[in-house]
Amino acid sequence: MQYLAINFPPISEVLNWKPLFFGGSAIAFNKIGLITLIAAFATLGMFFIAGRQAKLVPVGMQNFVEASVDFVNNSIIHDAMGPEGVTWAPYLTGLFFFILFSNLFEVIPFFQMPATARMAVPAPLAIGVYITFIVVGIKRQGLNYFKNSVVPSGVPSFVLIILIPIEILSTFIVRPFALAIRLFGNMLAGHLLLLTFTVLSEALFVKGIGLILLPLPFAMLTALTGYEMFVAALQAFIFTTLTAVYIGEALKGEHE
Amino acid sequence: MANIFLAVTQSTNPILPSIPEIIWSVISFTLLMVLLVKFAFPPVKAAMEHRTSKIQTDIDHAEAARHEAERVLAEYKEQLNEAKREATRILEEARKTSEVLRRDLLQRAEEEAAELRARHAGALVSERERVLLELRQQMAGLAIDIAERVIRAEVDRGASDVLIEQYLGEIGAMAP
Repeated sequence: MQYLAINFPPISEVLNWKPLFFGGSAIAFNKIGLITLIAAFATLGMFFIAGRQAKLVPVGMQNFVEASVDFVNNSIIHDAMGPEGVTWAPYLTGLFFFILFSNLFEVIPFFQMPATARMAVPAPLAIGVYITFIVVGIKRQGLNYFKNSVVPSGVPSFVLIILIPIEILSTFIVRPFALAIRLFGNMLAGHLLLLTFTVLSEALFVKGIGLILLPLPFAMLTALTGYEMFVAALQAFIFTTLTAVYIGEALKGEHE
Repeated sequence: MANIFLAVTQSTNPILPSIPEIIWSVISFTLLMVLLVKFAFPPVKAAMEHRTSKIQTDIDHAEAARHEAERVLAEYKEQLNEAKREATRILEEARKTSEVLRRDLLQRAEEEAAELRARHAGALVSERERVLLELRQQMAGLAIDIAERVIRAEVDRGASDVLIEQYLGEIGAMAP
């Protein structure tokens, strides 16, 4: 009977956090708010330190930040937007680090919660990206932007009848949802996975009965912690890359 | 009103976003973007661009220095070749001069030798004549001497023959 005593907490208990300040108001400040603020200030702090060092031969934080900026420039902007996209480097670099740090709190002790596993974080980011690429498209191509994005060139007209609704759906309706849900789902799943193995390890440890079995869930927990760090970086990279691709499409249009 | 907010903040649906969390995440991200774009990113970008331009300038300078060095090297090589040609020319000239001198000296030496030979030949002849004259005088002396001894040794006929033989032998030994 004791095996059944493993008590998995209700989902609301591991995702909804009690307010730390301003409880009960519309600006109730809880763990998620704290994590997003820390993510923002950590990113800013890194750049301020790097910018103040500004040595010819970069070391320490400056080296790390410059390597990151180079990474965003070469692996994301250059591939997805071309040389024109360089002006978007601050936005994309900031986005990348904000998501990365928000994700990484999944494995940071005492927090152990990725802020992005709450829809409140990826949703506004995705909406921001959605608005950005539409505004850029209209600025660059005028209202032709909508025609250019949903009517692929060189396609026979009878195919267009099927293709245009699909393009409208994928570009202007599905994109923001896909962007937000991809990040949210991955981080939520990771969080619950870690939680499951933690609860399992803890229950076995406390009950004593499963001490022989303990190494297995604990090993999984350890391995998954490493894996979730990788996922945190990967999801930040995917979100930023897709943002760059969408803005890059809006910049180019079909003429180039 | 408060109840509505409370209801929203206490949302237990794990998928739907809660309003206060949206507010704070938007505040955080907006703050990050504004400060990053305005203050934090430009110095980093400037440092990187400064480095890029410095490296480019250094490469350009190095390239220019290399070209200059190549030019100077070519110049030196040309000068070296010129010097070699000059040295060859001087050597050739010296060889020619020495050849001329050698011939000149040789000719003079031959002339001197011929002159010497000629002079010595004259001296030899006169010496020979002198010797012959002396010989003749001695022969005459000897002949008289023999004649005296022959007369003195008239008593012993046989002895005179021996004497004559002896003197003739002496003369023969003296002849050149």
